Amino acid sequence: MTEALIVRGLDKTFTKPAVMDLDLTVHAGELYALLGPNGAGKTTTLRMVAGLTKPDKGEISIFGVDARTDSAAAKALTAWAPDEAMIYDKLTPLEYLEFVAGLWNVEPKVAKARAEGLLSKLGLASEARRRCEGFSRGMKQKVALAGALVHDPKLLILDEPLTGLDAAAARLVKDMLQDRVRAGGAVILTTHILEVAERMADRIGIIAGGRLLAEGTLDALRTQTRKEGAGEGKGDSTLEDVFLQLTATPEEAAA
Amino acid sequence: MTLTAPGSVLWLLAHETRLYWRNFRAGRAGRSARGLISLAVIGALLVTGGVFIALGLHGRQAPINPLSVSLAALFTAVIFTLMLSQTLSASSEALYERGDLDLLFSSPIGPAKVLFVRALGVAGGVVTLFLLAAIPLLLPTVIWGHPGWIGVFGVLGALALSSTAVGLLLAMGLFALIGPRRTRTVAQVMAALVGAAFFLISQARTILGEQTSRSLFADITRQAQEGRLKPPPIASLPLRAMLGEPLPLVALLAGAMVLFALSAAILGRRFSDAAAATQGKTDAKPQRGGLVSARAFAAGAFLATLRKELLLISRDSALLSQVLLRVLYLIPTALVLSRNAANGTAAALAGGAGVVAFLAGQVAGSLAWITLSAEEAPDLLAVSPAGIATVRRAKLVAALIPVGLFLALPIAVLAWFAPVAAVWTTLGAFLAAWSSGLINVWHQRPGKRSEFKRRGGASWMATLAEMVVSALLAGATGVAVAGFAQWALIPLFLAGAALLSLRRSDAQIARNLRTR
Repeated sequence: MTEALIVRGLDKTFTKPAVMDLDLTVHAGELYALLGPNGAGKTTTLRMVAGLTKPDKGEISIFGVDARTDSAAAKALTAWAPDEAMIYDKLTPLEYLEFVAGLWNVEPKVAKARAEGLLSKLGLASEARRRCEGFSRGMKQKVALAGALVHDPKLLILDEPLTGLDAAAARLVKDMLQDRVRAGGAVILTTHILEVAERMADRIGIIAGGRLLAEGTLDALRTQTRKEGAGEGKGDSTLEDVFLQLTATPEEAAA
Repeated sequence: MTLTAPGSVLWLLAHETRLYWRNFRAGRAGRSARGLISLAVIGALLVTGGVFIALGLHGRQAPINPLSVSLAALFTAVIFTLMLSQTLSASSEALYERGDLDLLFSSPIGPAKVLFVRALGVAGGVVTLFLLAAIPLLLPTVIWGHPGWIGVFGVLGALALSSTAVGLLLAMGLFALIGPRRTRTVAQVMAALVGAAFFLISQARTILGEQTSRSLFADITRQAQEGRLKPPPIASLPLRAMLGEPLPLVALLAGAMVLFALSAAILGRRFSDAAAATQGKTDAKPQRGGLVSARAFAAGAFLATLRKELLLISRDSALLSQVLLRVLYLIPTALVLSRNAANGTAAALAGGAGVVAFLAGQVAGSLAWITLSAEEAPDLLAVSPAGIATVRRAKLVAALIPVGLFLALPIAVLAWFAPVAAVWTTLGAFLAAWSSGLINVWHQRPGKRSEFKRRGGASWMATLAEMVVSALLAGATGVAVAGFAQWALIPLFLAGAALLSLRRSDAQIARNLRTR
């Protein structure tokens, strides 16, 4: 199995440690959900993988490319979509996609066809030549997602990708992500909607206090929590149960 | 119910004042020691000027005659239009700025009250600006022999209130006439035109030609001396109010207050409807054709970034109005150039060429700040594989293209009459623009596009360096145009040395951006 992302010994400290000695692997053809409470270090981890935050220590490899020494080559393979859409209000979706495709040096004809296809698929065809300034948050998120896909990245890094989307749009985005995974791409995402992770993710990582507490399929996580004793007798426990058990503070666990 | 009860005008005013004060404190001038020192130095200079004025005017009384009445009325009109350019711009922006407007309009507080307080904020902002300059200049005179002149401050207050009322009426009139989509752009352009109107009038001598304006001025003076200049009695109101006569002062203030209150009361409901209508409206008409576009996509990071930056510049109405203002200031210079080029007047021609180069540097600096430092999606660029040097180069070129466009006319006129001078001017303007752009590359300071007017707190050193280098290159251009090309090497060398000392490596730029 090809490894899309390998992270080893990743450390980052701001005023206090944000990520500590983090190891994780995402395979090609896999959707990996990184879960954790607020301030757990999820976004910092993803920002380091995307090349936006410099790690203090550790290694990041994207499809075999060392992201720390050859960042341009690594970036060419990835796309980053944060929860706040990185778009320009005064540009139309089509103009935005043209700009993004230019940054990734996509051949203009290919980029244009791909941009039109993505906007159609995301239900933005009729808005393709309207400036984004009047768009709702959900529409802006869709434009940003189209931007993330227009250069056909092999690794998609998404921070809360479903924020602001209505049910239909959320379903559409989930389908598009799964299509990419089926086509051999890799997706790593964070989400607070545990049901999304439970339904979509091939593997789940749970992070708290900057450390990866557990990793694996939902079944593996259930088994792990059972072994630790806290979830005894709960063979059909939901991801929410598992998540709360793993991330509980000592006081919460005692209660 | 007291005057300051929640929901009252005073309560709302206190809320707005608190927000304004906190914004000011959060800003650079209110926070940094350097900002406070700068303010103190400017204040001290103004007070010194004020003391000299007081000394000069001590024991003298201002005459009330047709000439002084006309001059005071003209001065009042100038101040009014300057204030109007600001209040018109602020009033139209108030329609589009969401801020807490939705919260206020969704509350049981009447829209007229909300507009009244918002408009008071606009008037207060404008009058504060003028008072900051007027008080230190005039207070020594008021204290030392001319207590009645305190009326000037009252006149300024009256002008601020009436210009706000007119600004609101104009903004709402535009809204009714041309709709939400174009109001902001047209209002910004109108504000620029109004603001520059009196500058252009003050340059009448340049524009009309010396002979024409001299005869015009001579005519006015002769009319005054011969007693034929008879302004209507109402024209004496501003002068009498400025000199402290109670009745004219009260009349002016009362008139302004009535105009202000009436416009707020009449426009209240319309304003809330208009503000609601602007939500989600863009300046642009949606293009037809949906997804199908015949135009090909730009190839590569350089062209894509260049196109994106040019689109963003062309769609920024506030930015365009500021550039337009500078173009308007160039008109008299262009006329000087053409007239003196035709007449072969070397000194004035050299001065004009210098002004063109200096303005090119200043406009390029402002645009380069917009393209380089006011990037709206820096993370998008950071995660892309595009080389930072390529993106920067595209942004710099995007800043220089509009400068080239607005300089094309004066240089074309000059080239027609004096081709050699045109070559020097083009070279000087290009060097000044390029240098300002480079300074902005080396000393980036991220800010928001909306903060263009005050350059988003751009690095003070970069701003100062831009001015110095532009001035040196303007000097070199002027000297070369005057026919002393070899002497132009001195300011050119100094500008080069300044640029070398300002230069930063990519690593230094990155470090500087990271520490912000």
